[in-house]
Amino acid sequence: MTTHIQTSASGLTDDRPSASGLIVDRRELLAGAAALGLSTAFAGPALAADTPKKGGTLRLGMQGGSASDSLDPRTYADSIPIAYSCALWNLLVEIDAKGNATGELAESWEAKPGAVEWIFHLRKGVHFTSGKEFDADDAIYSINLHRGDTKSPAKDVLSPITDIKKIDASTLSITLSGGNADLPFVLSDYHLLMFPAGTTDFSKPDGTGAFTLETWEPGVRVVLKRKAGDYWKPGRGNFDFVEIRYIIDAAARTQALMTGQVDAVNRLDPKTTNLVMKNPNINVVRSRGTGNRYAFVAHRDTKPYDNADVMLGLKYGIDRQKIVDTVFSGFASLGNDHLIGPTNKYFATDLPQRPFDPDKAAFHFKKAGFSGPFDLEVSEGAYAGATDSAVLYQEALKKSGATLNVKRVSGDGYWSNVWLKSAFCAVYWGSRPTADLQLSQAFLSTAAWNDTNWKREDFDKIIIAARAELDDAKRKQMYIDAQKMISDDGGMICFAVSDYLDGYSKKVKGAEPHARYDLNDERIAEKGWFA
Amino acid sequence: MLKLIATRAILGLATLFAVSVLIFVCTQFLPGDVAAAVLQQSATKETLAAFRRELGLDVPAYIRFFDWLWRALHGDLGVALTNGRVIIDVIRPRFANTMFLAGYAAIISVPLSVGLGIVAAINEGRPIDRISNIITLMTISVPEFFVGYVLIAIFTVELGLFPSLATVDSDTGFFDRIYATTLPALTLTLLVAAHMLRMTRTSVLSVMSSPYIEMAFLKGLTRSRVVAHHALPNAAAPIITVVALNLAYLVVGVVVVEAVFTYPGIGQLMVDAVTKRDVPVIQACGLVFAAVFVGLNTIADILAILVNPRLKYRR
Amino acid sequence: MKIFGHKPPFTAWLGMTIVTVNLLVALFGPLLTPYGESQSAGGTWDPPSVAMWLGADQIGRDILTRLIYGARMTIGVALVTTVLSFLMGITTGFLAAVLGGWVDQLLSRLVDIILSIPLLIFALIILGVFGPTIPVLILTIAFLDSTRVFRLARALAMNLSVLEFVEAARLRGEGIWWIMRREILPNASAPLFSEFGLRFCFNFLFVAALSFLGLGIQPPYADWGGMVKDNAAAISFGIFAPIWPALAISLMTVGVNLVVDWLLSIEARPSGAQAEL
Repeated sequence: MTTHIQTSASGLTDDRPSASGLIVDRRELLAGAAALGLSTAFAGPALAADTPKKGGTLRLGMQGGSASDSLDPRTYADSIPIAYSCALWNLLVEIDAKGNATGELAESWEAKPGAVEWIFHLRKGVHFTSGKEFDADDAIYSINLHRGDTKSPAKDVLSPITDIKKIDASTLSITLSGGNADLPFVLSDYHLLMFPAGTTDFSKPDGTGAFTLETWEPGVRVVLKRKAGDYWKPGRGNFDFVEIRYIIDAAARTQALMTGQVDAVNRLDPKTTNLVMKNPNINVVRSRGTGNRYAFVAHRDTKPYDNADVMLGLKYGIDRQKIVDTVFSGFASLGNDHLIGPTNKYFATDLPQRPFDPDKAAFHFKKAGFSGPFDLEVSEGAYAGATDSAVLYQEALKKSGATLNVKRVSGDGYWSNVWLKSAFCAVYWGSRPTADLQLSQAFLSTAAWNDTNWKREDFDKIIIAARAELDDAKRKQMYIDAQKMISDDGGMICFAVSDYLDGYSKKVKGAEPHARYDLNDERIAEKGWFA
Repeated sequence: MLKLIATRAILGLATLFAVSVLIFVCTQFLPGDVAAAVLQQSATKETLAAFRRELGLDVPAYIRFFDWLWRALHGDLGVALTNGRVIIDVIRPRFANTMFLAGYAAIISVPLSVGLGIVAAINEGRPIDRISNIITLMTISVPEFFVGYVLIAIFTVELGLFPSLATVDSDTGFFDRIYATTLPALTLTLLVAAHMLRMTRTSVLSVMSSPYIEMAFLKGLTRSRVVAHHALPNAAAPIITVVALNLAYLVVGVVVVEAVFTYPGIGQLMVDAVTKRDVPVIQACGLVFAAVFVGLNTIADILAILVNPRLKYRR
Repeated sequence: MKIFGHKPPFTAWLGMTIVTVNLLVALFGPLLTPYGESQSAGGTWDPPSVAMWLGADQIGRDILTRLIYGARMTIGVALVTTVLSFLMGITTGFLAAVLGGWVDQLLSRLVDIILSIPLLIFALIILGVFGPTIPVLILTIAFLDSTRVFRLARALAMNLSVLEFVEAARLRGEGIWWIMRREILPNASAPLFSEFGLRFCFNFLFVAALSFLGLGIQPPYADWGGMVKDNAAAISFGIFAPIWPALAISLMTVGVNLVVDWLLSIEARPSGAQAEL
C-alpha cells in the first residue's frame, strides 16, 4: 500500500471531434493501451514534464454549499464541505483515480479470514497542526464520532462495526458483525476525518492536511493556506493559497471561469459544456459514468406500482436516449434500472440495456389493466434536469397510451417531505465506492433509505453473502444476479448515470477525472499545481 | 410633529415584534426542520433525533421563541443552529454589502427616474417622453436575472469592461467595490427606474388637471414653472411612497441579483437559512429587513406630511 | 376613427394592436401551432429553421409553439392576479385613509409587516404550506401584490380625503362606501390605472420568479417568464433562445402601458390643459 498516487498515470483522450477543449475520459483510460494509442496526439504534451511545483493561489468557483456550512464532520452533505475538509484533515483511506482503496493515514491493512476482523496499520510520523503526532487513539476517537448516539450521516455505513480496539500506538483492530471485504472503502467515506482525540470544537481546525484555515465565511468564501514545510504526501499540497468561492448560479460559475475570474469550477451545466469547450483556454475534465444516478422511484407496495407489469410498462415506456441527449446533452450514460455505474468492476455488462419500446410498454400496461394516470412528483431540488426529464417521460409514455401527470413540487424540503413519502417521485443516488454500499443502502429490505419499498429476502441474502465473499469471480456473479433482480423487478426507473463535468483553466495541472467525485475527488486543492 | 415621530417609533418597534412572531410561526409551519434539512438524503430516525437533542429542538416551540426573544431584547441574536457562528458577526458584513449596493443603485436610479419623470411630464407627448417611457417599460418587463445575464453578456463577455463576479471582501477598497458592483447596481437601476419614473410622471400630470393649475396657466406662467412650483409639491406624496417602496425593494428584494452576480449580501443568507430551517438566522435577517423597511416608510410618511400642508393639520 | 369619442394617436393604435394580437393568440393560438405544447421535435437549442422559425428550447421543443401556448397561461394568470390584488388593495387602502385612526394603523402596520418580509421568502412559506396549485398561486401573488397597491391607494386617498369636496360629502352625511366610490375612486383613478399597467406586467415576472423555487406554473405548460428562466444560460453564448419569450413579455408590457397611457390622457385631462398642449 503506497500513499503516493501516480498523478501522471492517466490517459488523456478526446473523443469529441468538434471540441478543442481537452476531454479526459476515464472509461477509455480503463480500456488501456488501445484507447491511449488512439489519442497520443493529445496525451503526449499533457503527460510530459508534469512535475508538480509550488506556489500560487488556486481560485475555485464551486456549487454545493451554503451559508449554513459547518466544520463539524457530522454535518457534511455536499461538495464544498468535502473540498475544504480534505484539505484540512485526512482520512484513513483514500480512493485512487481508478477507484481502488489506497492508504492515507492508514498505511496498510489486512483482513482475517471471513473478513470479520480487520487490522489497520497507521502511518507513523504524521503530525497535526498543533504538533501532536497522529496515533491509534485519534483514529478510534474520530471513527467513534460517527457511531452510537450521533447525528452523523455516516452512522449507517458504520453500523456493522461492533468493536474498535487499539493494539498499539499505530495498530488498530476493527471487528464487524458480519464479513465485509469492502471495509477499507467504507473508511474512505468523507465524513470519517481524523481529529486529535478529544476534539469537541471543530471550528478551530487542527488537522494533518496540507492546509490551515485562513478565512472562514461559509456561503461566501473559504481561504486555505499551505502549511510551512513539506507536506507528508510527496508532490502534493502545492498551492500557497486556495480560495473556494461559493458560486451557486451555474451560468455565473461558467462565466467566471471563461473570463478568468476563477481557475476551476465544478458542476458545469451539461447544456453549455459543448460551448465552454470551444474556449481555447479551458480544459473540460469529464469523469464518465461516475456522477449521479438519476431515477424515478415507485413504491412497490403501493397501488398501482405493486403490479409488476405496470412497473415494466413504465420501464419500457421511457425514452432514455432522448433524455440523455437533450436534458444532459450527451454527458451521461444510459441507466439500466439499477444503481451500479458502467465503470464499476461489478457492472453487469451482459444484462441487456433496456430499450425504449412503446409497444412492449403498451402490452404490459394492457396486461396490468392500468395505464395511468400516474402522478410523478419532481423538483429541481431533487436534481437539475428532473423536471425536463419528467416532461420528456410524459411525452414518451403517450406513445404507449399511458398518461403521466408531472407534478412539480418545491425543491425546498424535498428530501424530508417528498422523497421516501411520495409513491412515485424523482431521486438521485450518488456514486458509492463499492457495489455493496451502492446496492445495500437503497435496496436491502432493512435499509433506511429504501425508496422503492422493494423487499425481497433472496436479494438480501445475496448482498449479505457477497459482502463476505473473498473470491472475486463468485462475488461478481452475485452482484450481477442482484443487479438483474433490481432491474427486472425493482421499483426504480434509473434512466441515466451522469458524467462529472469540471472546468479548469489550462494552467491548472493535476486536473484529472476520478472514479469517485468531481474536481479530482474534491481534492484538487491538494493534488493540483500551476504550470 | 414630535408626537407623530414618537408614535411611529413605538409602532415601528411593535411592527418588529410582530414580524418576529410571524416569521417564527411561519417557520414552524414549514415542513421539515434544521436537522432534516442539513442531513438531507442521509437522514435516519436515530440521527435526526440525536441532532435535534443536540440543538435543543426537543423543547416546545413557544419556549424556544420566548428564550430567543429574551436574549434578542438584550442584544444577543444567538448563534446559527447549523454551524454555531455568532449571528451578529455573520450578518454585519453582509448587511453592509447589501446597503452599499442598494445605496449605489439608489444614487443612480432615484435622481435619474424622478428627474426623467418630471422632464417627461413637462414634455408630455413629445419624443423624449415617449422614448423614456418605452425604454423603461422594456427594462422592467424582463426578469431580473435575465437583465443581469444580458449585462454580463455585453459588458463582461463582449466589452470586457466589468467583472461578472461582484466579489467583495472586508479588505476590498472603496473604489474596487464601486468597480466590482457596477453591473449589479446597473441591473437594479434598470429594475426600479421605470416604476419611479412612471409614477412621477403620472402624479405630476394628474395634479396638472386641478383647477389651481389651470389658474396658474391662465396667469400666463410657463409650463416648466407650473410643474416645478405648483404641481410637484402636490404630487409629492405618491412619488415619495413609490420611491420608498423601491428603496425598500433595493434592500429586501435583491436575492436573485445577488445570486446572478455572486454578491455576498444578506438576501442569499436568508434564503440559505430558510432552506436549512436555521430559525435564529431567519429571525435575525427578518428583523434587519423589517427595521430597514419600517424606517424607510416612516421617513416617507413624515416627508409626505411635511410637503402637503393639508395633511399636517388633519390629526 | 374614434374610440370613446376620442381619436387615438399612433402609439395608442400600436398598443391596442399589440394587446389585441396577444389576446387573440391566447384564445385561438393553440389551433395554429404545428407542434404539441410539450413535443420535443428537435435538439437542445437548435437554431431557427424552416421547420422551427424561432429554433428549439432547452429540451428541443419549438419555441414559437411554446410562446403561443404560453400566451394563454401567462396573460391569464397575470390578469386574474392583478385584478384580484387591485380589488383587495384599493378597498383596504381607501378604508384606511378615509376612516383613519386605529383602522388605518392596524392595516398599515399589517402591510408593513408583510412588506418587510422578502416577497420570495413569503411566497416560499405560503406555497410550502398550501402546495403549489394554480389557484393557490394566484391567491398568493394577488395577496402579496395587494399590499403594494394598498400603500399607493392609501397615499392617494389620504391626499384626497382632506380636499373640500370630500369634506363636503362627509358633512352631507354620505356613507363611507359612497365617498370611496363616488368621490375618491374617480379622482385617484389615474395613478391607480397607471399602476395597474405596471403591476400587471410585474405579475408576469413574479410567476417566473416563483418558478425559480419550483413553485410556478406546472410543467409541461409554458409560461413566458419560465421560458426565459429555463433558457437563460444560453444568452452568454450568443444563443437567442431566451430572447424570444423576453421580447414577448416586453412587447405585451409596452402594449398594455401604451393603451393605459392613452386612456389616462383622455380620462384625466381637462379641456383647458389639453388645449394648452
